[in-house]
Amino acid sequence: MSTPDLTVRIGAMTMKNPVMIASGIFGYGDEFRGLADYGDLGALVLKTITPEPRPGNPPAHRTVETPGGMLNAIGLENVGLEAFVRDKLPAALEYGTNIIASIAGDTPEQFADCARALDGSEVAAIEMNISCPNVKKGGMAFGVDAEASAEVTAAARAATRKPIIPKLTPNVTDIAAVAVACEKAGADAVSLINTFSAMAIDVETRRPLLAAGTGGLSGPAIRPAAVCRVYQVAQAVNVPVIGMGGIWNASDALEFIIAGASAVAVGTALYADPSVAHRVLAGIRGYLERHAIESIEHLVGSLQL
Amino acid sequence: MTHPEDASPPGPPPSSGSGALRLQARILESESLPAAHHRLLLRAPQIVPRAQPGQFLHIWCHPPDEIERPPCAAILRRPYSIARLVPPEEVEILFRVRGTGGRLLAAKAVGDSLDVIGPLGRGFSISPDLRVAIVVAGGVGLAPAPFLVGRLVETRARVILLAGAETDDKIPFRVDRPRPGRATLPDLEALGAEVTFASESVEGILITAVAEARFGELPEENAAMFAIGPRAMLRRLAEVTGTHIPLQVSLEERMACGLGACRSCVVPTTGQSGYQTVCRDGPVFDASEIDWERLTS
Repeated sequence: MSTPDLTVRIGAMTMKNPVMIASGIFGYGDEFRGLADYGDLGALVLKTITPEPRPGNPPAHRTVETPGGMLNAIGLENVGLEAFVRDKLPAALEYGTNIIASIAGDTPEQFADCARALDGSEVAAIEMNISCPNVKKGGMAFGVDAEASAEVTAAARAATRKPIIPKLTPNVTDIAAVAVACEKAGADAVSLINTFSAMAIDVETRRPLLAAGTGGLSGPAIRPAAVCRVYQVAQAVNVPVIGMGGIWNASDALEFIIAGASAVAVGTALYADPSVAHRVLAGIRGYLERHAIESIEHLVGSLQL
Repeated sequence: MTHPEDASPPGPPPSSGSGALRLQARILESESLPAAHHRLLLRAPQIVPRAQPGQFLHIWCHPPDEIERPPCAAILRRPYSIARLVPPEEVEILFRVRGTGGRLLAAKAVGDSLDVIGPLGRGFSISPDLRVAIVVAGGVGLAPAPFLVGRLVETRARVILLAGAETDDKIPFRVDRPRPGRATLPDLEALGAEVTFASESVEGILITAVAEARFGELPEENAAMFAIGPRAMLRRLAEVTGTHIPLQVSLEERMACGLGACRSCVVPTTGQSGYQTVCRDGPVFDASEIDWERLTS
């Protein structure tokens, strides 16, 4: 059979394949340069930026490894919108694939400011981080509430023609309701999941292992929970779903796709294997060939019940 | 053995990427050392010409072919300082067997391979005009000391190594007196360094006093100090050297990516830049770059 078609469309953004790198993992893109050809991937989502630079949480104990996962409480440390556009984005664009900016803010207006400032840039799409568990204002404060999620999505929608992709938190009772609210407010897609609120404790000192006390859990430990959320959301919305959470290999990624994700992103696994996304991509291609599936589209949401 | 092409100081980290390679390194020697230390000699010819003292290797501690399966423990790589180079092909690491990563590595057999990314980070900057160098290595700082001392000796500087550990037993290789079964790293004196070993009852204090007593031996120009070890020791040295003796320090911090992307390992610095990463901006910093008050609070 011919080579399977891996093309994915998210609003006006076309990706040559469904494999992406998740936000927060890849820095601003340059840090990993040379370890693999990241231009081969469908899209690269850069670290979340805010209108002004943020120092993040105080140094020390910002991450801790846990069984099958990792807790982080970086606190959205970032260079700010202006320095991002001026100093970071040009180098990321050199990869020659879709670059997706991730934005956050304390208010819907700040999300709109970021979206507006990026409207004239060469980013392919804008992910909205309404799900960071590590900041007091903004972040997950929006994502845990369907109305607030809709409000911030609408604010960004009004500020840019770029595809906008709210990134959803699993720390809610009904993630599908939040996804539907975002869709109605003009989202071109939704991505999920961000990390689970989580905590680990040193029993000898009785202190949290993260200096911030709590953080977000990522890695293989959360994958089945992530697949479940993707399934729930894909049942509820018509826009594409980008699935992520603990993907380590092609089989993991295929679970998300079969559950309803049009595209997938790798995160924590990149720290073990800088080529994990390439490995996932090759595995997806091989799977489609082996099962004589002509297009990735035919696999999306093909769960047999 | 000298490598003229490596004589230039390492300078700032590369402006693009980490400059590091990913490779499979075969274990040529694996040896348990006293005080729960362990030594691995790796075949990594691509690393040898690039590595600078103070840089590290980021190692996947499970078998390389298991990287496709998510492990339950040690899902992240672990950073290990380069202890020594054996040109043209071999790189040595020396580590304390404490956590999961160290246990996995110590259990490897000769002939096994490791998935390694490196060399990473900013190493020590060594001026070719150096006349006298004092290296203060305490506790964990002993691992990368042989590499640093070796490079300093190559500059023809007089090199004074002050090595400290809590007790005599906690020093994993021979420093100033022969110990049966322990002469597994090169004899640092044979390299040409003047070695003083101090065991300390209180971490980091005695060796700094030893160091202070030797400051008089430093000329006014072309003298430098290099320090690796506990933060209390580094801070004390930074205070006593002040601005009159250039001091480079190597910091340790828990890492995730090892490449500067995740911002896990940041330390407070004095400049406008705020926090800098140990993995990419460091591990070696000029002592004046560090906000010691905040680092050790």
